[in-house]
Amino acid sequence: MSTPADTDVPVLAVEGYTLDYLTPTGGLRALEDIDLTIGRGEVLGLVGESGSGKSTLAFAVMRDLARNARERAGAIRLSGADLRTLPGNEIARLRGRRIGMVFQDPGTALNPTITLGTQVAETLVRHHGLDWRDAWKRGTGMLERVGLKTPAAMMARYPHEVSGGEKQRVAIATAFACQPECILFDEPTTALDIITARAILDLFRELQAETGVASLYISHDLALVSEIAHRVAVIHRGRIVEEEPANAIFRTPREDYTRQLIASVPRPDRPLTPPLAPETDAAPALLDLSDISVRYGRPSILKRLFGRSERVVGARDVSFALRPGEILGLVGESGSGKSTIARALVGLNPFEGEIRFAGRTLTGPRDMDQGYRRDVQIIFQHPDSSLNPRQRVEEILARSLILAGTRDRREIAATIGRLLEDVALPADYRRRFPHQLSGGEKQRVAIARAFASRPRLVICDEITSALDVSIQAQIVRLLLDLRERYGTAYLFITHDLNLVRQIAHRLVVMYRGDVVETAPVETVASAPAHVYTRELLGAVPTPVG
Amino acid sequence: MTDLLRRLARTPQGAIGGVIVAFVFLLAAFGPWLAPADPEAFNYTARFEGPGASFLLGTDQFGRDLFSRMLSGAPATVFMAVLSTLLGTLLGAFVGTASAYLGGRADEAIMRVVDAVMAIPSLLFALLIVTALGASSFNAFIAIGIAFAPGMSRVARSVALTVRKHDYVNAAVARGEGAGYIIAREMMPNVIAPIVVEATIRVAFAVMLLATLSFLGLGAQPPSSEWGLMVSESRDYLFRNPWMMIWPGLAIALVAIGFNLLGDGLRDALNPKT
Repeated sequence: MSTPADTDVPVLAVEGYTLDYLTPTGGLRALEDIDLTIGRGEVLGLVGESGSGKSTLAFAVMRDLARNARERAGAIRLSGADLRTLPGNEIARLRGRRIGMVFQDPGTALNPTITLGTQVAETLVRHHGLDWRDAWKRGTGMLERVGLKTPAAMMARYPHEVSGGEKQRVAIATAFACQPECILFDEPTTALDIITARAILDLFRELQAETGVASLYISHDLALVSEIAHRVAVIHRGRIVEEEPANAIFRTPREDYTRQLIASVPRPDRPLTPPLAPETDAAPALLDLSDISVRYGRPSILKRLFGRSERVVGARDVSFALRPGEILGLVGESGSGKSTIARALVGLNPFEGEIRFAGRTLTGPRDMDQGYRRDVQIIFQHPDSSLNPRQRVEEILARSLILAGTRDRREIAATIGRLLEDVALPADYRRRFPHQLSGGEKQRVAIARAFASRPRLVICDEITSALDVSIQAQIVRLLLDLRERYGTAYLFITHDLNLVRQIAHRLVVMYRGDVVETAPVETVASAPAHVYTRELLGAVPTPVG
Repeated sequence: MTDLLRRLARTPQGAIGGVIVAFVFLLAAFGPWLAPADPEAFNYTARFEGPGASFLLGTDQFGRDLFSRMLSGAPATVFMAVLSTLLGTLLGAFVGTASAYLGGRADEAIMRVVDAVMAIPSLLFALLIVTALGASSFNAFIAIGIAFAPGMSRVARSVALTVRKHDYVNAAVARGEGAGYIIAREMMPNVIAPIVVEATIRVAFAVMLLATLSFLGLGAQPPSSEWGLMVSESRDYLFRNPWMMIWPGLAIALVAIGFNLLGDGLRDALNPKT
């Protein structure tokens, strides 16, 4: 990475900035004594977990703070001039022209009722005084520049007519259109698929080098930031705890918090799971899927009348096997059919084909009796959604036990105590409601619920992707501990290749409803057989150092 | 809970509505004991009197104390309205939630029946039920409950459809729970909360509907002092003593306004975005 040209006045300088949020229970310090500078042509990565204040900082720079925000001290300077002292109309003129922003979710950042062309061109009309014809021409040029195939046709489309990656390209084109001095990127690739995210990152790097814009790149992903930023600042509870050149942060972190963060980042080169014992290699499969297909939707009467009853295919002829105690990783981008398979396995989707589980053969959700349901449990992605907000933890856990045939109250209470202990939650959490728990704690409750019936297979459907990286590391460690203790097999569904390579024995790669590759982890990494797998591996940011 | 009350008190509608409803509830709970005179005692020497010192709000055609009659009639009016709304809400919530849970053809069938029932105005529908069951307070309560159920089931279904998508419902299906448990224990508690607002506003309608039924002679029967019945009885003496109609009319209006305001306030208080 080239070193940025040094100039005397930094493009963006945040000096001793402190901000509080007023809450009904008093002031909450969101940012404390923040010092940051970004020079021309420089990329500063800002890394922090959720709630660390990184987005608040971005909105402070954009001068778009929530109404209950109170700025206590400090200055935010754009090329020397303090933005805090500028009146509202000056700020409005400055946004988009001198300082731009790209948001996390391009789906909500673009106005769904206006064509993409109008959205790109209107910034040019507004800030550069172009007339619509010229702005449209320049806008088309910008769309071509950001790598969109048919820019002229793209200009006339509405946001819902293009993909997420294309939308993000349009958002980037809009941000770069007026050649601002500084652009803030707030997790621009988090909502995108791995391969799309890689393409957006490449585009970002290219445009950044070309225009020399000063960039603040906000992300929770330390590996990604260390790859694209010149310097990395780590923010924790509203304070910048450490700022280092990007290549030094992984090798020589100074602060405890940074070290802890780095330790939590999944490293595919450091496996966490012991290899399976050779005798299990030969053992009969615990779960065996043969030619499982899932189709969605029911054809309407009208369509059947015309003989056109094609339905959406969620998964096509999926076959793989899982041995007792094995961790099988199921990877692929969104829409590849990973969750479809998971839902079919627990009877939430009707399917065609055969599932063989521990010697029994199932051909549909109706074949799943209580015994099968006890043995196969699922943990969902969002703990907020998978725990009933109106039930206490004990009620949530007790239900699985009652279904499993335990009736004695004292026995249930004792088992709940043991389950909470298993997932390292305090015993008095049994009286709590889900909203009184943090995200990681909620996921622990969901894990406890899954383990209540002593299952032989637990399906983990993206269970860590909604969590911070340090919480993710704890949850993964917990799962591995539980496996050690109970010998449970996992079907671990994720889009995070680094993570799954660290814990799985074998990988199944899915692409658009098909299984394209099934192989041991080491083989997949060293000699991927399918083009898509190779592409996937190439797109994952690897930690530097 | 205290947080909800605080949020409720912050909006003017919520504060005023809350005070009115609390006042009305107190009257309804203790009214019969607070009455200064026997509500059914005749005073032939003091018929059709206006408000005055001996009879606070005046007297009716039999010389009965209107104030005492109003107080003793409060529970019959207010609690019946609340109870019939509760019945309608629970019934509607169950039908709506079940419909959303079952989905597909069952959902279609249930909702079309609900549509058909909703096409009949609720007063007419209540009249129909009361004529079928016979005129009494209890039947009026049943009638209003049933008349309210279709509307509530529509509201409940739309809420339940979003609840259905949550993974805790999927988790329950995946661990093999029956439909009854999922509807009653997993979905209903999450459906009820949002429709409490709708129910509160409907109490006001129930008060009026109940009064209308009594007015038409199909609800409470004399000598009850249900407010709607009081209005009905005063009709013949409208010009000799208008107070006979004004007081119960005002009381009905007050309850209706109180619950309406409280409903508006609750909607804002329960919405975390405001």
